[in-house]
Amino acid sequence: MPKQGNTPDQGFEPDVVIVGSGAGGGMTAYMLTKAGIKTLLLEAGRDYDPLSENAMLKWSREAPLRAASTPDKHFGYYDATVNGGWTVPGEPYTVAPGSKFRWWRSRMLGGRTNHWGRHSPRFGPYDFKPHTRDGLGMDWPISYDELAPWYDRTEKLIGVIGTNVGLENHPDSSPGVLQPSPKPRITELMIQAAANDLGIPCVPSRYAVLSRAIDDAHAPRQACFNASPCGRGCGIGAAFQSTTSLLPMAMGTGKLRTITNATVSRVVTDGHGKATGVEYFDKAGASHVVKARVVVMAASACDTAKILLNSAPHGLANSSGELGRNLLDTTGTNVTGHIPALENRPRYNEDGMDVAHMYIPFWLYKEQAAGKLNFPRGYHYEIGGKFAMPGASLPLGNMEDGYGLSLKEDARRYYGAQLSYTVRGEMIPNKNSFCELDPEVKDKVGMPVLRFHWKWSDHELNQIAHGMKTAREMIARLGGTVMTPDRKPEDAIEDGGVIIHELGTTRMGDKASNSVTDSYGKSWDIDNLVVVDGSVFTSNAHKNPTLTILALAMRNSDHLVSRLRKGEV
Amino acid sequence: MTVSRRVTLMWIAAASGTALAGCDEKDAPASGLWKDIALEPITAHPYGQDPSLTEPVVPWPLTLGTAQRNVLRIAADLMLPADAHSPSAGTLHIDAFIDEWVSAPYPLQQADRLLIVSGLAWLDAESKSRFAVPFAQASDTQRRQIFDGIAFKKKIQPGYERAAQFFARLRSLMLGGFYSLPEGIADIGYMGNSPIPGPWPGPTPEALAHLNAGLIKLGLKPVNSG
Repeated sequence: MPKQGNTPDQGFEPDVVIVGSGAGGGMTAYMLTKAGIKTLLLEAGRDYDPLSENAMLKWSREAPLRAASTPDKHFGYYDATVNGGWTVPGEPYTVAPGSKFRWWRSRMLGGRTNHWGRHSPRFGPYDFKPHTRDGLGMDWPISYDELAPWYDRTEKLIGVIGTNVGLENHPDSSPGVLQPSPKPRITELMIQAAANDLGIPCVPSRYAVLSRAIDDAHAPRQACFNASPCGRGCGIGAAFQSTTSLLPMAMGTGKLRTITNATVSRVVTDGHGKATGVEYFDKAGASHVVKARVVVMAASACDTAKILLNSAPHGLANSSGELGRNLLDTTGTNVTGHIPALENRPRYNEDGMDVAHMYIPFWLYKEQAAGKLNFPRGYHYEIGGKFAMPGASLPLGNMEDGYGLSLKEDARRYYGAQLSYTVRGEMIPNKNSFCELDPEVKDKVGMPVLRFHWKWSDHELNQIAHGMKTAREMIARLGGTVMTPDRKPEDAIEDGGVIIHELGTTRMGDKASNSVTDSYGKSWDIDNLVVVDGSVFTSNAHKNPTLTILALAMRNSDHLVSRLRKGEV
Repeated sequence: MTVSRRVTLMWIAAASGTALAGCDEKDAPASGLWKDIALEPITAHPYGQDPSLTEPVVPWPLTLGTAQRNVLRIAADLMLPADAHSPSAGTLHIDAFIDEWVSAPYPLQQADRLLIVSGLAWLDAESKSRFAVPFAQASDTQRRQIFDGIAFKKKIQPGYERAAQFFARLRSLMLGGFYSLPEGIADIGYMGNSPIPGPWPGPTPEALAHLNAGLIKLGLKPVNSG
């Protein structure tokens, strides 16, 4: 794609400035520029081209420490994340006493779309009206039916593998939208056999990875060639990321300018309820102000909240007091088992499309509605187990013992004989989970940083307990041994933020008093300020959020286009 | 107590900055030979948060001495000896990987450095105590006698817990280091990291037959392999 600069282009007067180039920012840049609107995209991180700097097909032995995780590269040496992870140089955050929260960021063009898990289930009808269903949280101002056509368009555009399975609250896509699913692995067939025997579904998963090429003049993408982890970044464009799809397509229109290494500090206003642009700092620390008719926030739920909180004494667009509140993540824990029936199994190339080809969707809606469960919302299992590339540690289910020739026999016998059940569940917004400005700590450009507050409720803990118990039952049904210690849910649940699904800080609502944005992500207070990232989520169904961020960004930027055309902004 | 054992104890004590006071040499159990060695912190630069993914380099210098590397190589050959499937771990220079690991300027690796450097000293101390020669000069039979006290999860000699912890960590690192090399990958049968254009072919008939045999034994429905 055309080279990015890090200085403003003097001759370019944008109609819209977008803050952030990940899922929401990338989709909005695509939609606006396709409609002929001059758009400026600001990215805090450096320029990044996954076609030239990915680590595809590298062996673990070619990297330091066999590519193991370190404090520099938290997800391992080859993870695509640039200048980020749980820490970002010069951009600290704080956590209030008694809270546990971790915040994953990256500082690169395309943001976290460069390494994300690509798991792309749709929210269903129940997920948009959770309060109606169980009296908790708040309903979205839109319904599933309103978003469904945008899900179709998004899936078609980014490319999603999957199979329509017709399960309750797991909507099918329209015919011709999904790309063909890959065959299941041996381990997935085994998980499916035990799950089905226990009355639990196990069905083809949905991932934003291509099994068929997508042709485009500016962003041609190949089908997955069944090798290399997606988290390294995809050099053939098969795994969806903003940088090999939406951004080059937007650049191809000639309507997009991008400035990298541009750390946005605040939204600039005219003092009369209108945004006039944003202020950013370049790499050298010099500040710049860019002006535009519309400001679009797509910095991620927490960075969008930080910027808006820093833009006015009590936060910009915060007449509701909800800015930074309702912070959500997904619940998470993992149960792993060693399965004797998988020992010494015949070898074959089990890499597949890297992602899980099957998964276990939530299946207890009827029991939940009948009051038979002690938790109100769903969860799913992302399942795992395969002959994986050996790295610094060789997972043998802790079955290896001794030394010598018998140890080599152990390695052959136990390799590929473990199954993992990763629980991902819905969290309900609560008053104790939010972010605010830290009163003392400042970042590299002198702006106050975020301070996080976090607390799980019994809703989440009971759900995690159920997920762990059911996983143990599935492992037992396979004659396996659970390797994960039997822990209390409060010990087993991952800390807030760890699943990297932060949402909700500028939630959408049906009125200005209970929400920061309206049903199109438009600020209730500032007419020309629109939010298109995960902060607009009213709730966080257990279904991984990126697909829904993309579909909402597509719908809401389409709405913005019509407002721009009508001269409303 | 042999002279060599006394010398070793003094050396370890000097290195760790601890005194021998209170150590009744006559009655000291063998476990008393373990000393956590005080090490100068590693100050080398880490690779940072934006290293080259296409041309990776290890930026920190190696820190183990020739004698330590030699003991590691001997231990690697005992840990993962040559057989019909692959050469020994020592032949494949696993000692170099362990050196890279313990020399890295990160907290986990530094904790491993303490354990492994102390463990290597312990191997010598134990060997001198029992056989009057350092580990490198002991026979393989004598070395195995030392390993047998610390290598088996359910048969760890009482008082040898820290040495067993060292051994388990060394085993884990050697397994990872060995099976990630081409010879190890061929041995264990990892067949991936090799592009397959077009739809993924899925499991082989042999793999499916093995699965179905297992499912039937468990009273589960076999998979249609057609």
